[in-house]
Amino acid sequence: MSAPLLQVDDLTVSYDRIPAIHHLNLTLEAGHCVGIFGPNGAGKSTLLKTIAGLLTPETGGIRIGGKRVQERASRIAYLPQRESVDWDFPVTVEGLVEMGRYHHVGLFGNFSMSDREAVSKALELFKLEPFAKRQIKALSGGQQQRTFLARAWAQAADLYLLDEPFAGLDRTSSRALAEALQTLKQHGKLILVSHHALSEAASLFDSAILLNGELVSIGSIQEALSPLHLECAYGTAIYSGEHHHSGV
Amino acid sequence: MTHTSLISQLLEPFGYAFMQRALLSCALIGFTNGFLGTFIILRRQALLADALSHSLLPGVAVAAIFVGLSPGGLILGGLIAALLVALGGQMLARNSRLKDETAVASLYIVAFAVGVVLIRFSRVKVDLTHFLFGNILGVSDGDLWISYLTAFITLTGLAVFQRPLLLTLFDATVARASGIRVRWLETGLLALTVLGLVASLQAVGVLLSLGLLILPAATAYLLTDSFPRMLWGGAVIGLLGSVSGLFLSFFANIPSGPCIILLLALFLGTAYIFSPNYGLLISLLRKRHFHEESLERWDGHQEHDHRFPTSND
Repeated sequence: MSAPLLQVDDLTVSYDRIPAIHHLNLTLEAGHCVGIFGPNGAGKSTLLKTIAGLLTPETGGIRIGGKRVQERASRIAYLPQRESVDWDFPVTVEGLVEMGRYHHVGLFGNFSMSDREAVSKALELFKLEPFAKRQIKALSGGQQQRTFLARAWAQAADLYLLDEPFAGLDRTSSRALAEALQTLKQHGKLILVSHHALSEAASLFDSAILLNGELVSIGSIQEALSPLHLECAYGTAIYSGEHHHSGV
Repeated sequence: MTHTSLISQLLEPFGYAFMQRALLSCALIGFTNGFLGTFIILRRQALLADALSHSLLPGVAVAAIFVGLSPGGLILGGLIAALLVALGGQMLARNSRLKDETAVASLYIVAFAVGVVLIRFSRVKVDLTHFLFGNILGVSDGDLWISYLTAFITLTGLAVFQRPLLLTLFDATVARASGIRVRWLETGLLALTVLGLVASLQAVGVLLSLGLLILPAATAYLLTDSFPRMLWGGAVIGLLGSVSGLFLSFFANIPSGPCIILLLALFLGTAYIFSPNYGLLISLLRKRHFHEESLERWDGHQEHDHRFPTSND
């Protein structure tokens, strides 16, 4: 049997000695759209950032298709949060999607036929063709999210990490983004999405991870987000290190 | 005036060797700094570059004290001083809660003060005006070679790493996640900026060098939505501005440095007002909102009440 797409073993990540994620284990296969839930400070963003290779684990590690994250960097797509993007940057939708091919073309290589095809396929898949020549600021929030998904697609990523992508989207944009995630899933990708609205879980995702610093549950929506598990995740206080500040 | 005499008058500056060297030097520095400027502007580091330019002074002063006004010594001194400020600032910011612009600003002010004090001890006379505006008409063959070398290093470095740099400039976090050595690239960019400033010190001074770094790229930024066009556009504007500014200063008999800056500022002002997409004029002339088009959009809902529910999302 081949290695699972994402394997997290005994992962601990802490800020200033306070663990945001505490000895977490999980295994996920390709072809799923997984929602990550949990109260504020449960480690949702931390988990995504660590998988993306942006934070260094204190214990344990992460394997992507059996390999270390660093070896697989180009197959992982971490979608930026809206605030971290300079929307005035001189780049069009098409130009941004082309950036996804840079790993394949290298420093000097010219765009080949297959690169061009990957770009136009990505634009088509995420319904961006009408906006291809637009500067990225002249898009709606949902179109902007889809542009970044298209770039990740052009990059040929297998694993998509999205941190609260639905925040601030109106209903139409949310629907289009949800559709885009389904498209990715149908193409056998693994999508991890942190999300706060539990009520939308079933309509957006096929499975869920419930976090509370530690892993509370993982599985189908119904199973993972059962009343008992939710009580467990939202009812217990998260260790915030308060007791420690006076002492040791 | 006959046709030929007008031409010969226009070509007059080319007759002088000092003018030929000045033109060549201006063209090289204008093009290189214009190219580099795009990276500085998109990283929002225009003011950091300004800070670095002033931090060259103590290095220049120390060099003047120990080795006199030899170009090699001045460049080395300036380079070391600026690198100390840049790297020192980075170190302060990483190891404390000070943000990097605060750290660098504190250090460069100190550096400038140290420089002004040190200059008093120099046996040769170092003129602050010279430091700020250089002496483009006094460019020597040695200065010219330094310009060739700097232009070569800077343009090659930026051209080779253009793609990873673009990814980094656009979103450093995502670039890092995709395996690009962001810190390494950022440090390299900083080093090239310092090199550009120091190498053009003798010819155009720090202020003009800075002007050539910022103004052409800012002009290009207002005119295009394409990164490559901004890159090459900035370089070409830098080249045209500095060469024509030098010509203008020759005929109008005004100082060349400020003349080049003012001409570049004229370009920027023109783009600010007349840019087809982002200009002041177009934003005033445009319709306030798409009235007919919006009415059309709502037409489908005519049968409903006109008061649509307002949503908060």
